[in-house]
Amino acid sequence: MRSSVPNRAIAAAAIGLLLGGCLAPMPQPLAPLNSRLEAIGANRDPALSGRWLALISGRGGREQVMLLDLERQQPIDLPGLNRADAQPVSVSVDAAGERIALVRQLEGRTELVLYRRSVQSLQPIPMAPSGVPRQVQLQADGRQLAIQVSRGGIWQVDMVQIP
Amino acid sequence: MSAPLLTALSLLVSGCSGGEWLSRRSAGPVGVFNGNSRQEPALSGQGRFLASVVDRGGRATLLLQEQPSGRIVPLRHFQNRQPHSSPSLSWNGRYVAALVQQGNQRLALIEDRANGNLHRLPLPADRTAVRLSLSPEARQLAVQVAQAGQWRVQLFDLRSLLEPDLPGGLAVQGGGAQPSP
Repeated sequence: MRSSVPNRAIAAAAIGLLLGGCLAPMPQPLAPLNSRLEAIGANRDPALSGRWLALISGRGGREQVMLLDLERQQPIDLPGLNRADAQPVSVSVDAAGERIALVRQLEGRTELVLYRRSVQSLQPIPMAPSGVPRQVQLQADGRQLAIQVSRGGIWQVDMVQIP
Repeated sequence: MSAPLLTALSLLVSGCSGGEWLSRRSAGPVGVFNGNSRQEPALSGQGRFLASVVDRGGRATLLLQEQPSGRIVPLRHFQNRQPHSSPSLSWNGRYVAALVQQGNQRLALIEDRANGNLHRLPLPADRTAVRLSLSPEARQLAVQVAQAGQWRVQLFDLRSLLEPDLPGGLAVQGGGAQPSP
């Protein structure tokens, strides 16, 4: 009877290999990056584009925008974007990692801003007609924004071209 | 004050307010769908396609439209899996990713409009998918999950699963092909 155990193990391994060959490939967790994200703590609202991952990350009881370079597996400095008195709501990055669109709450109102990383500039994008932005997505080529806006209790989507 | 001076002042003021001069438009009507409410917009890499979530008979439903015409592009695999949320598109709109409801689980699906194939992302039972983002080249998927009362973002490598959808590639026309065997 004992000699049947190795045979069973071999048979199980063979069946496993056969089944594995028949099954479709599955998305694989990116373990090193996931460990790095895990170490950051709570994070939400991911936005992938090119080699960049923008997200909203909680640190020390407050949240801020974080940009990760997925190739170098390093966070990127964003001088002038995060403020201690601002609450980020939604974030998006273009494929070049140059433009970051951000909806944030600041001084009791919600605003949309566009950050240009190379010049560290922050440009407000007003809602016209007036409305409250909730979610933003920056087209991967960085030339257009799609914004979810609340107007009169209805959610609408605005498209804004960026020069 | 003269009219030209007023115009000049107006331009200066609008410039200072940051962005009044930007070209903008509404994403337009949602076609046969009820009401005008539209949420969670997602553009393809060069803006040819817009995915959003609209109300259809009280159920949050994924809508894919060509821009700027608003023509509705049919999707094969998302029907009867409402509520939909968090749509995301690849560069040329070949891949459409979104969260759907399957039984009592939120599930991430990716539809390949080029060959009609459907890809599912299973998650461990202790995690609930909340939001996702597909990289424009379709190389990675980021999923925000709720786990033990905390939000986390997890990344998945799609390179063994999907062909890349790169800038300059051809947009897939219509609703995509029949699923390949």
